[in-house]
Amino acid sequence: MPIESRRDNGTLIIQTEERVDSANAQAFYQELDSAIESEDRAVVMDMERLAYISSAGLRVILQTARKLQQQNAKFAICSLSGTVREVFEISGFDRVIDIHSSQADAIAAVSG
Amino acid sequence: MSASASLKIAPTLDQLERIAAIVEDLGEQDDWPPDLIFKVNLVLDELSVNIVNYGGEASEIEVSLDADADEVRVEISDDGRPFDPLTDAMEPDLDASLEDRAIGGLGIHLVREMMDELHYSREDGKNRLAMVKRKGG
Repeated sequence: MPIESRRDNGTLIIQTEERVDSANAQAFYQELDSAIESEDRAVVMDMERLAYISSAGLRVILQTARKLQQQNAKFAICSLSGTVREVFEISGFDRVIDIHSSQADAIAAVSG
Repeated sequence: MSASASLKIAPTLDQLERIAAIVEDLGEQDDWPPDLIFKVNLVLDELSVNIVNYGGEASEIEVSLDADADEVRVEISDDGRPFDPLTDAMEPDLDASLEDRAIGGLGIHLVREMMDELHYSREDGKNRLAMVKRKGG
C-alpha cells in the first residue's frame, strides 16, 4: 500500500503504509520525496497503519527528518503501535525525532 | 506444544520474503502474539540483509526456527566470509544529533536488543548465529 498525503492548514500530513522493510524502503523514500515540497514547513507522519518496520525503513525516516531540518521544516511522527514504538526507542530515534501519541498532538506541535 | 520450521534460500533480496513467510506461518501455528512475530521477523530480516549485502561469496542462507512453550530458538547460517555480528558490527551512537547520526549499525543493534540470548560460532566454513527469544518477554 503506497503512502497517502494531504495538506491541512499548511501542514503536510502523510499516512505511511503497513510495512517498510528492505524490499520496499527505496520505494518508500521516493514516495516521501515526491510528497514533500521544498516549501513545506510543517510535516506530520502518521504511522497508525504501520505494523512492521526494519532498519531499512528507519534509515528512510532519518533521511527524511534530515532533509526537513535542512529546509527549516518542523517534523513530527505520531500514532506508533507498541512494537514499532519500541523499535524507535531502541534505535534512539525518540531522542532526535518529535513523537506524539495522536495526530492532533503532532499537528499542534508542528504548527506552533 | 512445539513447532519448528527451516528454510534454505539463495542470498538475494528477492528471496527474503520467503523467510518472513515461514515466520508468519510458524507464529500462526504456535499462536505467537504479534509482538513476537514482529521481533523474530525483524531479527531475521536484519541478519539476512546483512549477509546479502556484505556476505561476500555466500551461496546460501539457512534459517531454522524451533519453538516450545517457553521460548523460540532462531538460527541463521551462511557460508560467506567470516563475520561475527556480535563483535564485528559497528555500534551506533544513539546520542548523536540528527545531522551526525550514522546510517549503519542499526540493524545489528536491533538484533542484539530484541533477542534474549545470542551465540556466534564459525563451523565448517559457515557463520552460525544461534539466538533465543523467550516468550514471556
